[in-house]
Amino acid sequence: MDLLIQALVQGVLVGSTYAVIALGMGLIFSVSGIINFAHGDLIVIAMFMCLSAFTALKVDPYLALAVTVPAMVVLAAALYRFLLRRMIGRPFLITVQLTLGLSFMIQSLLLMFYGGEPQRVPSLIEAQIWLVGDIVFEGKLVVAFAVSVVLSVLLFWMLNYTDFGRSVRAIRQNAKAAALMGINVERARLKTFMLGIGVLALAGSLLVPGMSIQPTAGLHLTVITLLAVVLGGMSNFAGILIGGIVIGIAEAFGSIYVSGTLGLIFPYLIFVAILLFRPAGILGRSQ
Amino acid sequence: MTVNPFRKPWIWLFCAVAATLPFWLPSYFLHVATVTMIMVALASAWNIPAGIGGLLSMGQSIFVTCGGILASALLVKLGINLWLGAIATAVLAAVIGATMAWFDNRFRLGHLSFALITLAFAEINQLVTFGTDFVGGASGVYLPKDTGDFLQFQFGGSTTYYLVSLALAMLLVALNVAILRSRLGYYLRAIRDNDRAAQAAGVPVLQNNMFAMALSGATTSLIGTFYARYLTFADPNLLASTSLTIYIILAATVGGLGTALGPLVGAVLLVPVGELLSAELGAVLPGLQRFIYGAVVVVVVLCAPSGIVATLSSWMRRRNVAPDPGPTHEDDASAGSGSERQRASV
Repeated sequence: MDLLIQALVQGVLVGSTYAVIALGMGLIFSVSGIINFAHGDLIVIAMFMCLSAFTALKVDPYLALAVTVPAMVVLAAALYRFLLRRMIGRPFLITVQLTLGLSFMIQSLLLMFYGGEPQRVPSLIEAQIWLVGDIVFEGKLVVAFAVSVVLSVLLFWMLNYTDFGRSVRAIRQNAKAAALMGINVERARLKTFMLGIGVLALAGSLLVPGMSIQPTAGLHLTVITLLAVVLGGMSNFAGILIGGIVIGIAEAFGSIYVSGTLGLIFPYLIFVAILLFRPAGILGRSQ
Repeated sequence: MTVNPFRKPWIWLFCAVAATLPFWLPSYFLHVATVTMIMVALASAWNIPAGIGGLLSMGQSIFVTCGGILASALLVKLGINLWLGAIATAVLAAVIGATMAWFDNRFRLGHLSFALITLAFAEINQLVTFGTDFVGGASGVYLPKDTGDFLQFQFGGSTTYYLVSLALAMLLVALNVAILRSRLGYYLRAIRDNDRAAQAAGVPVLQNNMFAMALSGATTSLIGTFYARYLTFADPNLLASTSLTIYIILAATVGGLGTALGPLVGAVLLVPVGELLSAELGAVLPGLQRFIYGAVVVVVVLCAPSGIVATLSSWMRRRNVAPDPGPTHEDDASAGSGSERQRASV
């Protein structure tokens, strides 16, 4: 029983961060139709920025946020302006091709600067644990969970109660109609892109303490994010949050209950199984 | 009607020149040429479901793993003849491919779902391969020394390997041409451009998708066996990794998706550049090959989004030169408007 609760706790804590990353991708997808296969590589860039901040100035990843988030937002704006903006309304495959090319470029640039060896970014609270009964709460995961919950609440508040949020939802429904209603679609897309990548930079700092990072880790993170987004039903924001947590729980159950390889593939099996029964996503309506 | 590139003299010229390479090319460059031809074959096999049929498979590494790693393991661990292993794993790959197409049919997410499902399967494949001792885990399987025994799937020296790879590549290109000109090709293109309309018009969508994936799986698996035999080492870091799939996708799309010659052109342009650069500068700048690859792809997407072949042929048509091979292809719903635009510009 304790083991079960432990797995659930672990899964929810990790999954909340996946959920926030996936929410960023879902927001971008719903206003622009772009699926970014370099999403995970952008997280890895943020993580390596944390590494540089630590090796150069001994700055904790949580403090490095002050640099990584603005830097990633600027990078996002540049990426959108010069590359991804041209992909809107184009065939899906062109976007996949461009972002895969981008992913290759990011991975190899990181490899040139940092080398291929796995590296770790230490943090003050990396080894901190709290015990509640027999259940272990890792400090870094609790911080990640708390920040992710606050972030999702803020994002949902923004989507529901601000002009920007309303314009995002309008564009998601119908970009042409939104433009006719006087919404500056282009500007909203740029802002959404910056927001999504900013959130991702923040999530990078949350995930990085104690994790070993490699230039090629991006693809796996992209896949995890995509699984959450698809489980959620692509542009159903509440669904995406649940999707992220489901993937987190599946990962935790896989690593705690199932030994070896099968444990690692558990999230994918869960993904396929859920989609077999809910083809349009967890909260989606089947056609 | 699709133009048959094999009716053009220059493709035979290309084959003839390519066939003479072993007689004057230094051995290292011959290796690059062999790898290039293997990539042409792999990209052409991917082009069948993805370019012609619109099924963006990101699971090609699964098929390569079947033919490359599993068949090698069957030979080394159980002593099963590599020809037999190659055929058995090709059948397995065909079944896996058809199964993925069947899975996709259940989902309602359009073109995206197939990419994601195959990607999920590819990740599973990578984890399973690295975690299974029978196929050598992360350290792979070393094949026995090549003694030139054809009955053991051995082809002797590098010249023969190169010629076989050239033949494989040309066979796959020819297969693409044949499919583009056949009923299957028209069905697949109808499904790619609008699957609901195709279904309504009586095209059996699921069967065609499953068949295209099975065909791609079987051929990719066979190429995988050949690749592993050529390298005498079934390396999971190469053969089972999703990066291999990305290389395949990028080579095919740079050349031109859905055209018979696109994968050939793309791979012939990209692979040698990448290989030679990494050989020259790999020690100094280890990521350079991938970087160049990625950069070329980004530039091509921005400047010639329908691929080099389609862009060149429409450019030549505009200059009133005899048209080049292959249909101009733009994916999805824009295919109609794309060809209209082209017609208008002629």
